[in-house]
Amino acid sequence: MATYYLNIPLKEEDVTKLKIGDIVYVSGDVFTGRSRLQKYVFDEKNQLGFSIENKNVFIHVGPVIVKENGEWDMKSFMPTSSIRFEKWGAKSVQQWDLRMIIGKTTMGQETMNAMQKYKCVHVSPQAVSPNLWLDSLTIQDVHLFEELGSIEASWQLKADKLGPFVVDIDCYGNNLFDGVTEKVEENKRKVFEKIGIPADFSYTKLY
Amino acid sequence: MIRKETLESAVFDAIRRGTTILPEDVKSAFERAICKETSKTARFGLEKTLESMNLSKQRDNLLCADTGWPIFYVKVGEECVVEGGFTEIEKIIKEQVAKATHAGYLRKTMKHPLTGADPGNNIGMNIPGITYKLVKGNELEIAYVAKGGGSECFGGTRHRMVAFADGIAGIKKCVIENFIAASKAGAICPPSVLGIGIGGTANMAANLAKEAACLRTVGSHHPETDIRNLEIELCEAINELGVGILGAGGKVSVLAVNIEYAYTHIAGIAVAMSSNCMVARRGANLIKADNTIIPLKAPNWFDREEN
Repeated sequence: MATYYLNIPLKEEDVTKLKIGDIVYVSGDVFTGRSRLQKYVFDEKNQLGFSIENKNVFIHVGPVIVKENGEWDMKSFMPTSSIRFEKWGAKSVQQWDLRMIIGKTTMGQETMNAMQKYKCVHVSPQAVSPNLWLDSLTIQDVHLFEELGSIEASWQLKADKLGPFVVDIDCYGNNLFDGVTEKVEENKRKVFEKIGIPADFSYTKLY
Repeated sequence: MIRKETLESAVFDAIRRGTTILPEDVKSAFERAICKETSKTARFGLEKTLESMNLSKQRDNLLCADTGWPIFYVKVGEECVVEGGFTEIEKIIKEQVAKATHAGYLRKTMKHPLTGADPGNNIGMNIPGITYKLVKGNELEIAYVAKGGGSECFGGTRHRMVAFADGIAGIKKCVIENFIAASKAGAICPPSVLGIGIGGTANMAANLAKEAACLRTVGSHHPETDIRNLEIELCEAINELGVGILGAGGKVSVLAVNIEYAYTHIAGIAVAMSSNCMVARRGANLIKADNTIIPLKAPNWFDREEN
C-alpha cells in the first residue's frame, strides 16, 4: 500500500497507478453533489450551468454550510454513501470526465465498468472525521443553490491535501469490499459453529 | 410548573450537545475499540474519528455532517405540570429543531417523501419523531437522538419473524446475517451500536431495537441474565466477523449489542435490528419541578439499574 499526494486536474497516469488499499490526498479544485444534482442534469435534462473544466474530482457530499455575516461558513463535511447514486454513476464518469469520485461505501457494476473504461477511481474515507477535512477546504463558489438547496447544490471547493482516502475501486475492475465480503463469509461459518447454529440450519417458512 | 422557557432551553441544549459532543460512554467504547483493534489501518481510522470528534467539542461544530432524523424520547412524570399543557412539549420541540437548524446544529435534511420539497427547517408531517413515556414523579426527561441516514437506510433497520421452532439459533442467525448484509462496504458506518428488539409485534420489536441502539448506555447490559448473556455472545461473535471500521476490514465491528425484549405470541418471534452509527449521538436533559435543568450523561429511558 502506497500513499500519494495528487494534484487536480488528475492525469490518467495519476489514477492508473493506484491500487486497492492505496491512500490518497488530493489538492486543487473539486465540486460536490448528491442525487438531486445528478437527477437535475441527467433525468431532467438541465445543463450543469457551470464549468467543470480541470475539475475532474467529484465528491458525493452534502456539507453543512451556513451564511454568517455575509460569508459562507462550512460547519461539517463528510462524504456520503456512493451506492445510492449508482443510477447516474456511469453517466457522471463519462460526461463529466471524472478521474476520481470521493464518496463512501461503493458503486455498482455499471459504474465500475465505466470507471474501468474511462480510467477513474473511487476513494472513501477510513474514518468519520469531518473536522480533519474542514481545515483542508476553502469554499470558492456555489451553483444551483436556489434550485437544489444548500445540501444538494454544487459547491466549488479548493482542496489542500484533502484526505486520507483509501482507494476502494481502482480502474481495473477491482473492489476492496469484495475481498472483505469473502473473508466475512468465511468467518461467519466459524462463528456459527462456535455459537451453536448448525451448518444445515434453515428457518421455518412462516410466509 | 415547568415553564416554557425552561423547556425551550432544555430541548435546544439537548440538540446542541447531541450533535456536537460525543457522549462519554460512546467515547469510552471508542477508546476500548482502539485498544482492541488489531488491524493497523482500522485502528488509524478509529483514532482519526476520535480525534475529529474531540475537536467538535472545542469548535462547537457537528460530529458528523449527517445529523439524521431528529427523534425525541420524552419521559413525563405523572405529577408534572407544563405551562400551557402537555401539547406545548411538541410545539417547543418543533420550534427548537427549526432554531437549531438555522444555527447550523442540524443539517437541512428532512424532505417531503413524494415531492422532495425541503422545508429548510427539518419540520414536517410526523417529523421530528416524538415518543412519550409516562412515569411516576414530577420531572420531565427529554432525550434527543440524531439517527443517521446511513445506519438507517442501508438495511441497518430490518426485521424477521422467527418461528418458536427455530428458537435461539434462529434469533442469533437472523441478527448476525442481518448485520453482515447491512454492513457491507461500511454502509451503516460500523463499528455500530447494534440495537436488537425481540418479541412483540413487528413494529414493537422495531421500536425496542431503536431504543436499544440509541438510548442505552454503551457498555451497559440488560439486567436479566439471559438477555445479558445473549448481548455478550452476539457482540463477541460479530466482532469475529472481520467487518471493521467502515466495512474495510478489522477486528471491531460493533461497539455494543443491546437487546430489549417483549413477550410475544406463540405464533412467532419478531427479531428487529436497528443499528446506530459509530458516531452514536444523543443529548439528554432532566427538568426538575423547580425548573432546574440537569444535563444527563445518558438518558434514563428504561428506568432501571443497568450493569
